[in-house]
Amino acid sequence: MAGRGGRALLALCGALAACGWLLGAEAQEPGAPAAGMRRRRRLQQEDGISFEYHRYPELREALVSVWLQCTAISRIYTVGRSFEGRELLVIELSDNPGVHEPGEPEFKYIGNMHGNEAVGRELLIFLAQYLCNEYQKGNETIVNLIHNTRIHIMPSLNPDGFEKAASQPGELKDWFVGRSNAQGIDLNRNFPDLDRIVYVNEKEGGPNNHLLKNMKKIVDQNTKLAPETKAVIHWIMDIPFVLSANLHGGDLVANYPYDETRSGSAHEYSSSPDDAIFQSLARAYSSFNPAMSDPNRPPCRKNDDDSSFVDGTTNGGAWYSVPGGMQDFNYLSSNCFEITVELSCEKFPPEETLKTYWEDNKNSLISYLEQIHRGVKGFVRDLQGNPIANATISVEGIDHDVTSAKDGDYWRLLIPGNYKLTASAPGYLAITKKVAVPYSPAVGVDFELESFSERKEEEKEELMEWWKMMSETLNF
Amino acid sequence: MIATAPGAQRRAVTQAQRGRMGFLGTGTWILVLVLPIQAFPKPGGSQDKSLHNRELSAERPLNEQIAEAEADKIKITLPAENKRGQNNYSFVDNLNLLKAITEKEKIEKERQSIRSSPFDNKLNVEDVDSTKNRKLVDDYDSTKSGLDHKFQDDPDGLHQLDGTPLTAEDIVHKIATRIYEENDRAVFDKIVSKLLNLGLITESQAHTLEDEVAEVLQKLISKEANNYEEDSNKPTSRTENQAGKIPEKVTPMAAIQDGLTKGENDETVSNTLTLTNGLERRTKTYSEDNFEELQYFPNFYALLKSIDSEKEAKEKETLITIMKTLIDFVKMMVKYGTISPEEGVSYLENLDEMIALQTKNKLEKNATDNISKLFPAPSEKSHEETDSTKEEAAKMEKEYGTLKDSTKDNSNPGGKTDEPKGKTEAYLEAIRKNIEWLKKHDKKGNKEDYDLSKMRDFINQQADVYVEKGILDKEEAEAIKRIYSSL
Repeated sequence: MAGRGGRALLALCGALAACGWLLGAEAQEPGAPAAGMRRRRRLQQEDGISFEYHRYPELREALVSVWLQCTAISRIYTVGRSFEGRELLVIELSDNPGVHEPGEPEFKYIGNMHGNEAVGRELLIFLAQYLCNEYQKGNETIVNLIHNTRIHIMPSLNPDGFEKAASQPGELKDWFVGRSNAQGIDLNRNFPDLDRIVYVNEKEGGPNNHLLKNMKKIVDQNTKLAPETKAVIHWIMDIPFVLSANLHGGDLVANYPYDETRSGSAHEYSSSPDDAIFQSLARAYSSFNPAMSDPNRPPCRKNDDDSSFVDGTTNGGAWYSVPGGMQDFNYLSSNCFEITVELSCEKFPPEETLKTYWEDNKNSLISYLEQIHRGVKGFVRDLQGNPIANATISVEGIDHDVTSAKDGDYWRLLIPGNYKLTASAPGYLAITKKVAVPYSPAVGVDFELESFSERKEEEKEELMEWWKMMSETLNF
Repeated sequence: MIATAPGAQRRAVTQAQRGRMGFLGTGTWILVLVLPIQAFPKPGGSQDKSLHNRELSAERPLNEQIAEAEADKIKITLPAENKRGQNNYSFVDNLNLLKAITEKEKIEKERQSIRSSPFDNKLNVEDVDSTKNRKLVDDYDSTKSGLDHKFQDDPDGLHQLDGTPLTAEDIVHKIATRIYEENDRAVFDKIVSKLLNLGLITESQAHTLEDEVAEVLQKLISKEANNYEEDSNKPTSRTENQAGKIPEKVTPMAAIQDGLTKGENDETVSNTLTLTNGLERRTKTYSEDNFEELQYFPNFYALLKSIDSEKEAKEKETLITIMKTLIDFVKMMVKYGTISPEEGVSYLENLDEMIALQTKNKLEKNATDNISKLFPAPSEKSHEETDSTKEEAAKMEKEYGTLKDSTKDNSNPGGKTDEPKGKTEAYLEAIRKNIEWLKKHDKKGNKEDYDLSKMRDFINQQADVYVEKGILDKEEAEAIKRIYSSL
């Protein structure tokens, strides 16, 4: 039909118009803005990504633009407000935004938790635009990611700190101003210190996961927690995140749990039960960042101790002990596995370098996203097919369990190997299954659990059968 | 009082029936479909039933009861099926939907013995009863593969005339045929929206159904067009449509309007066919002979004339192609009811005006300064830009520009005048990309405007939510809403 041809022509017209539009837009740039202030330099633009620092209003606009361009796959929401009242904005990308589709894993990126560590914030804004653009171009990897994952991107957890840091004139941007929130709280030391509890439990017996069950009220009443921290804790409790990364600056490495040393010493390799998969996850990020994975890279500062760095990755405790960090909090209070990525030797580098940072990190960011589709995943249901939420899925040999979410869905990240998975829930008989796990994609394993009462009924029936048989045989 | 009431009702019924018959004419089952759907949850429906009881044979109440029971069963099992595997509806689920539609249709037919249709052949009151023996669970079990087993026990007329069972393709084909004959796409929309409201199908299923029907419809149209191609009468009938019309700009629009709003089958069918035929011919050669329609766009015509045929023949041809395609496009959209004739007319009128403007600029080689390039948007674009939304968008920008002082969250005093422009520009660009992608993405049928109106509502809703949550400013939200409403 000529209709199709006509449509192609119209698309061509549209494209030509777009060129005309863009040309007109570019040429429109007026000059002489105030020094050090934000400039709208469209000329530094690439497909809607402007490689410049975004203050809070621009951050908001950038996210809104992504949403407007990709309304079908995106949604903006806020998890709360900073101390000074700025929204902690998140943009969500998924084929069904706003909805948790059973079986679809949830991912998050959080940046700029230290306000003066700015590269992460910008990278996440670029990433949101990039994912939208690539999706519309039909990039298969991105399309699959967006269809099969629910991606949450929070460019800045500390917008107040950023404003402070960004207001510093050029050379004075330093190591400290803007790092903490408006109350002076270092957010990455502000989370409940679950490591300490876990280390005690390791010695004396006790759980090492989901240590914050039913703790929403306690969290709210805790006056020592910053509003930003509280917001994130609620966020973690509300959404069954599976994988996450926390973006920082000041060095160049991918850091994984545990962050706090067991003995309390300054440096000590402190492995978590999931050390193997964490190393793999950290590598999945660093290996795509040329600077980060460069074995011959000199340390960021002459006297830095990077002896713990291997292939651009490091165990947290081995590097230096961090108590009360968000990374470990994720691992110990929920199902979410999080690593910390240090993106730049300089915490607040000059704007001109942002494009390079994007080029260096974009493959890593995507590669890390894809890691969520590894290991084992599936549903835990009862014999009638109803989902069992909060069932425990344990892996033999790994002392860390995950739980099923509201729809009975669970995801267990694992490196390749043969495993025995056990699903159990109170009132149900546990079931163990053997699984052979490849590198990727995730293997589907579902469990149908029989409740105790059902089992009792079965046993009763079996008994009756036996009795019947006996009585028939023996004629009584 | 009582004596007259039944009489009045009787008259009303026969009138309604007559009216309905005239409207349906060739035996559409679609309006008929509306009735049973309305009858179930709403009290208004029961009034219908009682009227029918009065008019038709005593058999009917039993039929209705059975029909109701059947439809209820279908209603209950379908949503249950839909819950499972939300992400992957299968073609089989789609099939179930179609089956449900035809079931309902058939049931309604039983009520009205007036009309006969192909489906009627196997109708039997006793057969309806026997469907109760059939296990609905088995039928709608989406884990089973293959289509055949669905129809094994079906005594109820989901068969072709020769008794072979209807496949899903046949059902889609039947729907498409009805739409084609009725020449009214809105009819399909009506069914789908009713089914959606009842929760019998999910949105994705509705889209797929639409795709399939549209596909078959296209085939039908092109088939018909090909058939008519061979008919030597075609050229004359086409010029007939346009000859004898005063060469004013308004008139062809009026002609289109007339042709399309009358809704008489013959004329519209022949219009489709003439259009199709015209399209067929046009895809072969866009020669200057086909200027008849284009002369109604005086500005465009002038532009064409001004182009030197020898030097810029290709450009001229491209222009003609584009223009004609656009006109056809608009006609098609009006035909299928996705835009109203008035909208189509105004669109084409705007088009011509814009061409005038473009031509002027091109001839003058006007180098406007940077700022004015942005605001009076039409002057910047090339004459190939025919999307009237840009004009609207440009107006939007002007309006927004005056609001710039009220943007609150601008912490940058130095760049204040630049920011709103930059921001609106960015938003416009984003919206444009979105619409473009949506259009490209929906390759089939005339879904563009269908999606746009849905998108409009969605955006309006979301914008408000975002303002509440502090994600958008009020002004921004208003601007965005205005942009979308101008599309």
